[in-house]
Amino acid sequence: MRKAKASKLALGALIIAMAALSACGKEENAGAPQTGGSSAASSAPKIKLSMADRLLETSTDGAVVARRKMLEEFKAEHPNVEITQESLQDSTYKTKIKTLAAGNDMPDVFELIGSDAQMFLDNKLVLPLDDIMNQDPEWKNGFIPSTLNDFTVNGKLVGAPMQMLSTSLIFYNKAIFDKVGITKFPSTWKEFTDAVETLKANGYTPIALGNKEKWVAESCILSELGDRYTGTDWFNSIKNRQGAKFTDAPFVGALKALQDLSKMGAFNSDMNSIDNNQQRTLYYNEKAAMFFEGDWAISSLNSEAPQNIKDNTHLAILPSVEGGAGKANVVSGGAAWSYAINANLTGDKLQAAVDLVKKLTGVEEANMAAENNAVAATVPTDYDKSKVAPLFNEYLAMFKDLEISPIYDAQLTPAVIDTMNNGLQDLLIGGTTPEQLAKDIQDAYES
Amino acid sequence: MNRLEKTLPRPKSTTIYGYLLPGTLIYVFIVLIPLGLSIYFSFFKWSGGLSKAFIGLRNYGDLIQDAKFWFSFRNNMIITVLSIIGQLGIAFVLAVILQAKWVRFREFHRTVLFLPVVLPAVVVGFIWNLIFSQDYGILNGLLRSLHLSSWIRPWLDDPHIVIYSVTVPIVWQWVGLYLIIFMAAIQSIPSDIYEGAEIDGATGFRKVIFITLPLMMDTLKVAVMLCIAGNMKIFDNIYVMTGGGPGMSSTVMAQYAYRTSFNQFKLGYGSAISIGMIVLSLTLILLSRRLMGGRTVER
Repeated sequence: MRKAKASKLALGALIIAMAALSACGKEENAGAPQTGGSSAASSAPKIKLSMADRLLETSTDGAVVARRKMLEEFKAEHPNVEITQESLQDSTYKTKIKTLAAGNDMPDVFELIGSDAQMFLDNKLVLPLDDIMNQDPEWKNGFIPSTLNDFTVNGKLVGAPMQMLSTSLIFYNKAIFDKVGITKFPSTWKEFTDAVETLKANGYTPIALGNKEKWVAESCILSELGDRYTGTDWFNSIKNRQGAKFTDAPFVGALKALQDLSKMGAFNSDMNSIDNNQQRTLYYNEKAAMFFEGDWAISSLNSEAPQNIKDNTHLAILPSVEGGAGKANVVSGGAAWSYAINANLTGDKLQAAVDLVKKLTGVEEANMAAENNAVAATVPTDYDKSKVAPLFNEYLAMFKDLEISPIYDAQLTPAVIDTMNNGLQDLLIGGTTPEQLAKDIQDAYES
Repeated sequence: MNRLEKTLPRPKSTTIYGYLLPGTLIYVFIVLIPLGLSIYFSFFKWSGGLSKAFIGLRNYGDLIQDAKFWFSFRNNMIITVLSIIGQLGIAFVLAVILQAKWVRFREFHRTVLFLPVVLPAVVVGFIWNLIFSQDYGILNGLLRSLHLSSWIRPWLDDPHIVIYSVTVPIVWQWVGLYLIIFMAAIQSIPSDIYEGAEIDGATGFRKVIFITLPLMMDTLKVAVMLCIAGNMKIFDNIYVMTGGGPGMSSTVMAQYAYRTSFNQFKLGYGSAISIGMIVLSLTLILLSRRLMGGRTVER
């Protein structure tokens, strides 16, 4: 009898524990949208903002350093706002934010890449910023106009652009070029491939490539090489679905040119198992003579590389291609990323989120970024030029004469980019042909 | 025995179900409901968000004709076969050796061999990435110092060998688990059988083949099943080491489902791939049970 009672007691305890457990589960489920939802916490006057970003503490990218400082300043200026920050590494972040989007569980403020903009807007996950920006013309007019265009979808501005990128710069070591007898950076494709052969013959890896994360070959090489062959009109036709195809001869030609580079041994043989940080390491060790990366690498190089490498590094863009439809003074670039606000925010939370985004994209941030060798989407007005690295000045001087062509992974849909990125790995090791890859990409584009 | 049963109060069926409830609930929440949702989603063309289009069985029609899916299934099969041979084989040999009378520091060996099992797959992936590294890796360094430079390969970059390269860490990591299972099985074999065999003049090797192996057949079957189930859903090691690359060459089914769902954002088709994975895994497990079922030793 006693024992039966004890077991009943135990059962009772279990049921209570379970009820508590399942209640916890419910609360958690309900809590997540709540932080992103309209009902602000009633107990505390504090405004809680959740934020997802790529502002890693360990990053040497000057833009990240600058924005982290801005975030610190924002926290100091707004003691009543509590920011829960989740910082992730680039490719992880891209996955995470899409996963959150699928679950309709967006953070209050987040980084939005151009290629996701359409889908997020269609699913009503981002707040159009037109009205908010129009109320603050000083903020809006500070932006480089083309960056705002990059984030205008269906006539609505979906995010505040955070940067003005060029993704396809060639960083080359002039000392190595001089040593092997190349006095001037190649200005035609033929000269470029000859230079690759010469460097190879002298025992250098001509181009360091770290394509493990799959975006480097596409974003930093093909976006520009493709434009040299196809011209920007072709891309616009692709993007707006006006008849261009990935199987068109110029694009196949660009893929072939990339594969030919790989076939002649232009890249390190472990290109698909190292990442873009490791590609720079090859270059710092003077094993490689060049690498392709965007302007963010200027600040990384400035803080990571040995002094002699820093002194010998100069910038170039891909030479023109014979018979290509693209212009020679074009670099793939654009805003690519922006700060966006959750569509469900209202009241104080919305105001706090807007203030935060303004802080992260306004002129203060632009000045701070410039001092850290990075280009924000807003024109810097006042910064200490003595803090800037020589290579960054070289970049600014070069950039003045350049035009911008689209970055593939900032503009095309995820399915196309995934197929392209995976296919490029195959292409570079000879696992597929340019024609086949072009067809695969076209299939993904049509489906 | 009988008397003991009588003195114990027989719990009411409500009590029994009460105790079962928590576990069942957790299982329902983390396995059955997601599974049901996956089946539901697999009938839709869905890119996340609010709009879904019902397309019936078309995702499954596509799946059957999807060469990439079957290629990744082939990769799973390679890993599974190598794991059954590698993990179970090595574990069995080690278990037999560790039972030998002359072995010292038995617990120490056991602990060291078991250690990789408790390491997170991400850590294992990174360690082996360093080992395989082209210029700085231990493996290539070792080959160079042994004057075997001609054996050096781009271990994670050559599409023909990458699937074997990524299998090595998987085998290495899980040997310890099966070792523990096998050691327990061997210890439960009564020692008088061995003593009898010794009197009859059986040597070490014959004892292993004719006594140890048949008497732990049931354990072996469970181990094979665990091994198949584990390798059909393998994902994390490979994701860290190669991301499924170069191209598709080291992509397994789980990775393909993940890529389809979260890189290409075809969540409906991704769900269909996951269901395909379950069907194939269950088929294989049933098949393996059928194949091994006939050889049960009668006690």
